[in-house]
Amino acid sequence: MSMKRKTSRFAVVLIILALFATALAACSGGESTGSTGSTSEERDSTEQTEPLTKLTYWVELFPDAAAIMKSYGEVTAWKEIEAKTGVQVEFQHPAQGQLGEQFNLMVASNKLPDVVDFAWNNYPGGAQKAIRDKKIIPLNDYLDDAPNLKKLFDAHPEWRKMASTDDGDMIGFPFIREDVTQQVFLGPAIRKDWLDKLNLAVPTTIDEWHTVLKAFKEQDPNGNGEADEIPILIPAGELAFAGAFGTPNDFYQENNTVKYGPIEPGFKEYLATMNQWYKEGLLDKDFATTDSKMKDAKMTGNQVGSTVLFLNGGIGKYLDLMAKSQPEFKIVGTPYPTLASGEKPVFGYLDNPVTGIFAAITGSNKNVVGTVKFLDDLYSEEGKLIMNFGKEGETYTLVDGQPKYTDAVLDNPDGLPISQAFRKHIMGATSGPFVQDVRHTEQYTTKPEQQEAMKLWSAPTHEKRMPPVSIAVEDSSRYASIMTDANTFKDEMILKFIMGSEPLDKFDEYAETLKGLGIEEAIQIQQAALERYNNR
Amino acid sequence: MPDLDNNLVQATAGIPVESKRSIIKKDLIRNRYIYLMLLPVIAYYGLFHYGPMYGLLIAFKDYGIADGVWQSPWVGFTHFQHFFENPYFWRLIRNTLMINIYELLFAFPAPIILALLLNELRLILFKRVVQTISYLPHFISIVVVAGMLVDFAARDGLINNILGVFGMEPVAFLQEPGWFRFIYVSSGVWQGIGWGSIIYLAAMSTIDPTLYDAARMDGAGRWKQTLHVTIPDIMPTIVILFILSIGSMLSVGSEKIILLYNPLTYETADVISTYVYRKGILGADFGYSAAVGLFNSVISFVLLTLANTISKRVSEHRLW
Amino acid sequence: MTYKRSPGETVFSWFNIGFMLSLCFVTLYPFIYILFASISDPAEMARFRGMLFYPQGFSLDAYKAVLENPMVATGYRNTLFYVTAGTIINLIMTTLGAYALSRRNVYFKNSIMLIIVITMVFNGGLIPSFLLVNNLGMLNTPWALLLPGAISSFNLIIMRTAFQGIPVSLEESARIDGANDWIILSRIIIPLSMPVIAVMILWYAVGHWNSYFHALVYLRDRELFPLQLVLREILISNSTDNMMTGAAAGDRMDIGLTIKYATIVVSTLPILVLYPFLQKYFVHGVLIGALKE
Repeated sequence: MSMKRKTSRFAVVLIILALFATALAACSGGESTGSTGSTSEERDSTEQTEPLTKLTYWVELFPDAAAIMKSYGEVTAWKEIEAKTGVQVEFQHPAQGQLGEQFNLMVASNKLPDVVDFAWNNYPGGAQKAIRDKKIIPLNDYLDDAPNLKKLFDAHPEWRKMASTDDGDMIGFPFIREDVTQQVFLGPAIRKDWLDKLNLAVPTTIDEWHTVLKAFKEQDPNGNGEADEIPILIPAGELAFAGAFGTPNDFYQENNTVKYGPIEPGFKEYLATMNQWYKEGLLDKDFATTDSKMKDAKMTGNQVGSTVLFLNGGIGKYLDLMAKSQPEFKIVGTPYPTLASGEKPVFGYLDNPVTGIFAAITGSNKNVVGTVKFLDDLYSEEGKLIMNFGKEGETYTLVDGQPKYTDAVLDNPDGLPISQAFRKHIMGATSGPFVQDVRHTEQYTTKPEQQEAMKLWSAPTHEKRMPPVSIAVEDSSRYASIMTDANTFKDEMILKFIMGSEPLDKFDEYAETLKGLGIEEAIQIQQAALERYNNR
Repeated sequence: MPDLDNNLVQATAGIPVESKRSIIKKDLIRNRYIYLMLLPVIAYYGLFHYGPMYGLLIAFKDYGIADGVWQSPWVGFTHFQHFFENPYFWRLIRNTLMINIYELLFAFPAPIILALLLNELRLILFKRVVQTISYLPHFISIVVVAGMLVDFAARDGLINNILGVFGMEPVAFLQEPGWFRFIYVSSGVWQGIGWGSIIYLAAMSTIDPTLYDAARMDGAGRWKQTLHVTIPDIMPTIVILFILSIGSMLSVGSEKIILLYNPLTYETADVISTYVYRKGILGADFGYSAAVGLFNSVISFVLLTLANTISKRVSEHRLW
Repeated sequence: MTYKRSPGETVFSWFNIGFMLSLCFVTLYPFIYILFASISDPAEMARFRGMLFYPQGFSLDAYKAVLENPMVATGYRNTLFYVTAGTIINLIMTTLGAYALSRRNVYFKNSIMLIIVITMVFNGGLIPSFLLVNNLGMLNTPWALLLPGAISSFNLIIMRTAFQGIPVSLEESARIDGANDWIILSRIIIPLSMPVIAVMILWYAVGHWNSYFHALVYLRDRELFPLQLVLREILISNSTDNMMTGAAAGDRMDIGLTIKYATIVVSTLPILVLYPFLQKYFVHGVLIGALKE
């Protein structure tokens, strides 16, 4: 009885709350019906092309740019563009961290900025879904207003493919890396001074690597009298080495048939090799937990013989760091290892020329044609020059018709390091809707070791590489579900195999378990995505 | 002390509706200022907590960003089913529970003990200095705490250096599933012990000094005084905090674990929130994470109600 | 007050002092580490491992970099505002709720309490909250950081528990003299609850000081960012994960490590320096509370 009374009392209070909630629902009725038609699907023939004067532009502020500016509006290149076009770009930058989450929240409300510069394939359900949801307007019907981009796409059909969805809708204005040397950014590297000291050549095959690593371990190349050398420091499943066995730690394709590396026989060979290296003390004992800071400590502590490094943030960084305290320190890129000598490496790190970051025109944009024309200008010769080099006479000068950075960039008067001086003045080192100029890269990545590494790392054929496919909207949650469980199991087991706490005889059992977790279905999903990609 | 409120309830039970209305009316008049005070509070909860509550529906829907909560299609219990059928379901539950049990055993009593010990310090200046120092860790961001932990617990880190002095073999603590819970909970104690003790110290400061005098007259030493005066006095606070922590038995924040774990320690470190986080990276599956969140909430609520009921019976302290 | 200690109690006292000293050491060491690391030479610091007892080399570059960040000063100003305004709102709301819900014969009391407890376990999730803030027009305004968290249910419960502990006798005599609830709250309850109010101030203020999540989600105008968000950005921007963008790599990495520590010092030092002064006030408040008993 008393219980019932209490319940009714509770109900009264609940009703009051419900009133609040309904009042709210009324005012939040505008919640994202998405199709609120500020735009029409087909291009409206009566559409006026008023000159664009103002534009809201949502884009991530690059982390180390945030240290020196509050908005990209302060960048010399954008200021120059605004001066030339008379368009005032109002940048909106989300706070850093959890970018994806913030993006999801933004698109949940139905008023978007005019342009959103983002990896649109990360829209829940993919870029195709964003177009279907009318969050972004595909460029297909506006290509005539974008002659510069059209010219680029006509000259490079592959770029067009990468900038489109499976249905052939063009997602937006892409950031394009025009040259293969810009797409190479990471690869295997070794201490050249140690090799020289021990009279060894740069290894190319897995067997040669083994010999070299053993020598690093046993012959004290750092000369401190202790066997504290870490011959190689790489994470589990490292592509540069797993790739040598023909099985990357991910999906790949062979003659357009999708395969999953970690269940292929080659991967067992790879694990056996890593297990042997681990047992022999060649592979860092703490490889499973080494983060970037510990890697820094081990590298600069003169312990690491070889590893996988970034071009600028690795080779360039360590050469600079060690130049003073240890002038003999020399680290160079190596070719991607192979099994047999003379073989051409197949797998390697490579960024796509169309990076997947698109400045897309949103459904809230009131002047689509004007925006298209404005953004397309950035792909013209002049636009490209400004975005990559900034303002003539200030941040660059023309020498024999070629742009050269001035000391405002290369030797910044405010003492900014070169990477930040680039952020301050140009967008070429960051990203945006334009083509990254190869002449920019040449003047940025200047050390001979880096140039050399760039060449070596460009060697892989990439014939088995997965192109940037997109998972079908309807498959995406099933795929995510399979892959979360599969990765959880796989990551755990790979470490155990390498460290020897699971014997390799169990590899078949492990592969079976992965199949039980649905990996074959995931392969099918990838296969379908690949076929759709090839048919774009 | 008689609980007037309960008397009121008993009084209203079985009384005709008419007079029940008049009781409410009387209550509203007598307590008009109280209800006036409650108005902004209720408005706040209604607006900011119950207003967004419709988002719980996402757990039963195939949520699409463009469709919003209302227009997205219903999928019933599909998301829940996926979660329960997950091959790691029991491991996730076990790990989440274990970390909470460790916390209840070690992290919960730690601030109480610290507060009691601080209370015994007779040098006021020393006490104040210790107190201030013990709050410090609360101000460091979890990113930094985790970073230092990784450093210190490494094979050649601080802890192993110290153990090495005693001739012990170095242990890669963060690679051993057996060590994870200890590291997680003990670092939590380090960060929270001082801050957590504040509330108990505040409660102790209101204890009537005459109670201690009386106890002393009866010949009670400091141990007896603590046992018979201090602890009973802070008991309501302890019980309330205990009930609340029982309610969160099935939740462990993901941020710190993500910074500390790796596949080698999944065995003990992978909890519900980290699993959902990893899943979120692959595909922003709002429905699934909402379903897991709702599952957590329901369990929490059941536990909370249970703890509250038991506490009501045993100790007369209760939340509602 | 002559009182003789038993031998056991003396032993205990010494043990207690020893325990407190070791606690202080364990707590302080990481701070010393951070301080020394922040003024160390970045290159030497990168190479260093183990226990740090003095700076490795000396360099103030990290501090220069942090203070050059245009956001740090803005962040300080904003945080100061959020802490002050936010704590005042929190205190008013929490006190009202705690008082009302601690009274004995209020008909709807327990139902309201239950409704509050429910919000501690159930919530609608981020998306509806975001849409709400958006629809209320609070997106990208300071209100978004002040109102959605106006009451912490946890703190409300703690405060209510404290209010419940105050003897009814004090209140009853006032009622006989014709005092209403406002007078009882302001003249009797609040003065007697100074310790718990001091705790609330501390908890809420430090909560505002440490919080970044609401700012992360609700703010896009960098002029409004609180310090913690700025700090977080600095920490994140110095992690190597961002190097994936290839040619756009940074050679600032070399001081990245010490920047992290310098940022921590810059952002925690003020509150640490301020704290002893605050504590003096708190202790004072606590004493008043105890005396009036």
